[in-house]
Amino acid sequence: MEVELCPILRSFGSEQNVLSRPDGSASFVQGDTSVLAGVYGPAEVKVSKEIYDRATLEVVIQPKVGLPSVRERAREQCIRETCEAALLSTLHPRSSLTLILQVVHDDGSLLACYLNAACMALIDAGLPMSSLFCGITCAINTEGQIITDPSVQQEKESRALLTFAIDSVERKVMMSSTKGSFSVKELQQCIAVSQKASEEIFQFYRDSVKRRYSKIM
Amino acid sequence: MKDTPLSNCERQFLLKAVEEKKRVDGRQTYDYRNIKITFGTEYGCCIVDLGKTRILAQVSCELVPPKDSRPTEGILFFNLELSPMASPAFELGRQSELLVKLNRQLERCLRNSKCIDTESLCVISGEKVWQIRVDVHVLNHDGNLMDAASIAAIAALSHFRRPEVAIQGRDITVFTPEERDPIPLSIYHMPICVSFAFFQQGTYLLVDPCEREERVMDGLLVIAMNKHREICSIQSSGGIMLLKEQVLRCSKIASVKVSEITELINKALDNDKRARKEGGKFGFAESMPKERITALKKDEAPVEMTDVQDTANEIISRTEAQPDIVKVPSPVVPAPGTGQVGEGLLNTWGLEEEEDEEEEQHEKEEMSTGEVMVLSDSEEDDVVILNPDANKPKRLEGGSKKGVEAPKKQKTSH
Amino acid sequence: MMQSCFKNKIGDVVLPGDIFSFELPVTEDGSVKAEKIICGPGLRRNGDEVLVCKSGILRHKQPNLYWIDSQQKRYVPAKGESVIGIVTAKSGDIFKVDVGGSEQASLSYLAFEGATKRNRPNVQVGDLVYAQFIIANKDMEPELVCIDSNGKANGMGVFGADGFLFKVSLGLVRRLLAPQSEIVKDLEKLFPSEIVVGMNGCVWVKAKTVQQTLIVANLIESCENMTAQQRQALFKRVADGNL
Repeated sequence: MEVELCPILRSFGSEQNVLSRPDGSASFVQGDTSVLAGVYGPAEVKVSKEIYDRATLEVVIQPKVGLPSVRERAREQCIRETCEAALLSTLHPRSSLTLILQVVHDDGSLLACYLNAACMALIDAGLPMSSLFCGITCAINTEGQIITDPSVQQEKESRALLTFAIDSVERKVMMSSTKGSFSVKELQQCIAVSQKASEEIFQFYRDSVKRRYSKIM
Repeated sequence: MKDTPLSNCERQFLLKAVEEKKRVDGRQTYDYRNIKITFGTEYGCCIVDLGKTRILAQVSCELVPPKDSRPTEGILFFNLELSPMASPAFELGRQSELLVKLNRQLERCLRNSKCIDTESLCVISGEKVWQIRVDVHVLNHDGNLMDAASIAAIAALSHFRRPEVAIQGRDITVFTPEERDPIPLSIYHMPICVSFAFFQQGTYLLVDPCEREERVMDGLLVIAMNKHREICSIQSSGGIMLLKEQVLRCSKIASVKVSEITELINKALDNDKRARKEGGKFGFAESMPKERITALKKDEAPVEMTDVQDTANEIISRTEAQPDIVKVPSPVVPAPGTGQVGEGLLNTWGLEEEEDEEEEQHEKEEMSTGEVMVLSDSEEDDVVILNPDANKPKRLEGGSKKGVEAPKKQKTSH
Repeated sequence: MMQSCFKNKIGDVVLPGDIFSFELPVTEDGSVKAEKIICGPGLRRNGDEVLVCKSGILRHKQPNLYWIDSQQKRYVPAKGESVIGIVTAKSGDIFKVDVGGSEQASLSYLAFEGATKRNRPNVQVGDLVYAQFIIANKDMEPELVCIDSNGKANGMGVFGADGFLFKVSLGLVRRLLAPQSEIVKDLEKLFPSEIVVGMNGCVWVKAKTVQQTLIVANLIESCENMTAQQRQALFKRVADGNL
């Protein structure tokens, strides 16, 4: 059985150092989906949250309308665990790292966009990391077609939705979040597609940083 | 986190500069910083940049039963939030004095001034009215949050469209944007806040104080006014005594500033409307400054997928070769009366997001716009293009644009 | 081999996760020839490999020192670095000093030139100090001193009341402090001014007038993202009085 693939990443872009107050900030745009991320740290930590051998990472998602719900809380945890795996937090024990993510517009693949914005902001903040990461969302529609970076419309029409965080060194899956039902084969295909697509994004990270340092090379 | 402390040296220098009518960013006493108004792809979404201060406003609506005291009026609800992103001093979910003050001020400026026709928001008297909710998020705090918030809120309200409804007896039909064009709110006037910072018991005043100026000021006067020179609210804080003439002078300055800002908002709204009509693809994504060194954009890119099928098949066949993986781990009984499968590892599979149906039918506009308006655009931007598309990767269809802009030069005028 | 592997990357942008792995050269007698390199900020050794953990430009200093030059804003204290701090509290024998790190640094009142138990230095809360770290590591409270190893002030101590303080990125600070810094050379030609640069991103400027101080401060801030030509053109315009 051959599964049809529709692997296209919508146009994406990013701006670093967008905000003056945070230690690191970035906006990330995928199609119409847009997220703004800000990072503070390593900064003073509250005694109640202090961890003696590593930095305390807090991730906060700010929805555009109303208060954060369970969905935001669950995503915060996904992102926190991904960031914790990438950050070398033992280098800054007893300090706090705060990552704040603000939705600017949701047009699908939001979790992936959160992850990408978070990674760019961490790069901008200059926090020590063992690898970079990126987020890719795949939707499987009713015909079994895999669509990467789906829009809200495509998400609604899909049978299953899978988001992966991929690391930049070995292209391993750092986090997965799925919804709907799919076969093992489809899962493996989605992972393979995401790993391929991640290369585009990692190259983009490199180009952005290169461009940023272009004047002082 | 604590806010960064202010040293005595900065304090003294800022006060001395105020006395000499100099400002840290080179502005004159009555100057505003650059104002940039950008609209999102959704209706009622607006980002305002006032210098480095950045605020996001989003308007949404919902059908609710009206308040008993006013059965024929729609409800306006304002919610300003100080995101922890905006400053290290802002904590999540803390009701700080500043937050309460800003929320109250925003309500006084926009609700109590009756700038929006709430009666037109009534659907069935005593039963269903529209509740208009304005969420204002402070994203970066570099002073004068009030003015920026009021501009963002009124611009977002003016940009907002609510769905058309039809009433048949007691049934209400809400039309999607595809069925019937959504309709704008009826706005009588646009109140805008103008802040004045006072120093040395009111001897010196500055318009649009930045964060450091706010830290050393003695008092603050906020005047909300519309372009017809009607004052909608006045608030003085800090406990300074002002003379009648000073307040009058401030209201005169405010009227000039308000008419400038109103014009700017209208221009931004017009541009957005035109772009939507013409069907140009715009939005926040498009308003990203492409010439800036810190920004990069990449066009839609197909992902090369030649060996994906093989990889997937290979992985699956490998997995199938080891049938013991499929075995369900036997239950562990840590203590009598309890059961557990597997060891107490962190479960990453249970984190499926429960994506509930969006409350509102998601408005999806084919055309979306993002317009950028800049007030008092005095800087020159030298644009130097470095090796434009020299080493464009083959896979890209559009290729990334490489351009470099000289940073803005803000200088004290001589 | 290590050197050569690094060498062709010097001056390039590297990202976290980039790995330099080496095959140690085997000399004729079959033994492995060891080669020493020193990993500076942003580089970590991981077995036989060197791992990049910060984004920035790979720099090299003779003979074998490598580090990553990045433009971050947040300061992390390092032993021996001189910083500008704000005194935030006096408690007993020590001053608490904010340097922008994750923890306030302590500064003993005896760590000033000529200070004794009787003759305490005149330092108030909110004052600025220029001081050097003698203790700075991830596991201990950072400690500052305002004297060198001979007990002399050597330029350190409390600032006078005048002047203006502002913050820039750590990358720009390092460019300002580099020996023979071109930015400083260009600035010197404009006005006579006093500039103190702390490794923590704080810059203190004092010129003849408030106006001139502000111009110098704004010029330094604008150097963040400018090529040398752009900077010189801008400075020339200022010198000609066109701004």
